Amino acid sequence: MRFHSTVRGFSIFLLVLGISALVWAAEPTDRIKQTTDKILSIVANPQLKDPSKAPERRRLIRSAVDERFDWEEMARRSLAQFWAKRTPEEKKEFIELYSDLLERTYMSKVEDYSGENVLYERETIDGDYAVVKVKFVTGKNKDIPVDYRLRKKGENWLVYDVSIEGVSLVNNYRRQFGSIITQFSYENLVKKLKEKAEEK
Amino acid sequence: MKTRNVTPALFLLGIVLIPILCIAGDSTMDPFEELAPPDIVPGLEELAFLGLETLDEPFLVAITNIPVQPDTPEEEPLEFIADPLEPINRAFFQFNDRLYFWVLRPVASGYRAVIPQDLRVGVRNFFSNLTTPIRLVSCLLQANFKGAGTETARFLMNSTFGLAGFLDPAKTEFRLQRKEEDLGQTFGVYGLGPVLYLNWPILGPSSLRDTLGYIGDLFLDPQTYLISSYPVNLGVRSYYIINETSLTIGDYEDLKESALDPYTALKDIYHQYRQNKIKER
Repeated sequence: MRFHSTVRGFSIFLLVLGISALVWAAEPTDRIKQTTDKILSIVANPQLKDPSKAPERRRLIRSAVDERFDWEEMARRSLAQFWAKRTPEEKKEFIELYSDLLERTYMSKVEDYSGENVLYERETIDGDYAVVKVKFVTGKNKDIPVDYRLRKKGENWLVYDVSIEGVSLVNNYRRQFGSIITQFSYENLVKKLKEKAEEK
Repeated sequence: MKTRNVTPALFLLGIVLIPILCIAGDSTMDPFEELAPPDIVPGLEELAFLGLETLDEPFLVAITNIPVQPDTPEEEPLEFIADPLEPINRAFFQFNDRLYFWVLRPVASGYRAVIPQDLRVGVRNFFSNLTTPIRLVSCLLQANFKGAGTETARFLMNSTFGLAGFLDPAKTEFRLQRKEEDLGQTFGVYGLGPVLYLNWPILGPSSLRDTLGYIGDLFLDPQTYLISSYPVNLGVRSYYIINETSLTIGDYEDLKESALDPYTALKDIYHQYRQNKIKER
């Protein structure tokens, strides 16, 4: 009798451990899914389809993205060796300009989203870092593999880099920013970023 | 006495023999061996602390072979591609920019308005099916027998059930994905670096290594042999470019919009993309 209940107790304990381990292992992917689903529901929302509602829709999408993307980390990695020399005000200004640049770039893509399939392929966790491999299936017989790189901050997983077909966004901007700073100056880079914002 | 042209016969013979050889080759391959050759996957050293000293634990390597890249120290110089010909490359970049907006995009837009997307994707599939030998030979040269087998199977299936290559039942029904390989990648796998960046007019971004690969690929491309007249060959290739452009209108505009320096952005995208393709074999 006692033996039975011990075995039962032990197996329930193992089962719970197993489930929680599964949940824990799937966390970064879950977070990405959460954000993607949230954005998709905003885009699909019939109440927000009207062009007059565009600013509100953008605001909602932006706030959903802000929850998942670590803009400061991305900005730091994009400026690379030029980050340390910046004053706190310059850093703040740069993070804002950079995140606005990225927002303008992805916003039009997100709004054009026509419901391509998103396949969550694989996830790798290495301590506080994770990679989630996703595939966007388009109707043109071309699949787009996207890797999200996340870092654990407290209880949350935040994205610090996105690689599309193996091309890292952060590294690409790092190359561009580095080229502009070495050829001209950091001030010139900020000027270019501001000009770009005006273009729209 | 008429001499027979044996090239098509040899080609067909090869197509029949290769899947047999590949199946035989594949059954002796360790399924995980292809995943992480130790000298090619970066980041494997970082996994050493997990106790993965060697490939004796194939299961763990299989799930952790994506380099997680914890921290790129900011001072660490980013791997880059040499660009000693930058002024010429930039000039060609401007040329291609004009060519796209003044010629390619208008023609492709008109074409797109008339021909439905499914047909244009079919054309893309058809050309892709034709260029199987390029991918097949590159797989073999990289000792990727599984990939070579996949490409052969795809060719046979798509040529027969896929209406001479217009459809892709190998992918939709049998989940056999195209193995995008070429000679440039093969040279990369052998250890040849890109050497320097070349931005060709019309053809676009490339490197010295990849240009040599492209020339080699022309010898493997059946179109070179099937089309006897030079102007017709050019015409066919131009049509291919228009068809592809019609399916990717907007991509170049997005690049220009998202980049502060489109020339550098394109160069870096090309470089990262090729490095990744070589790494993933």
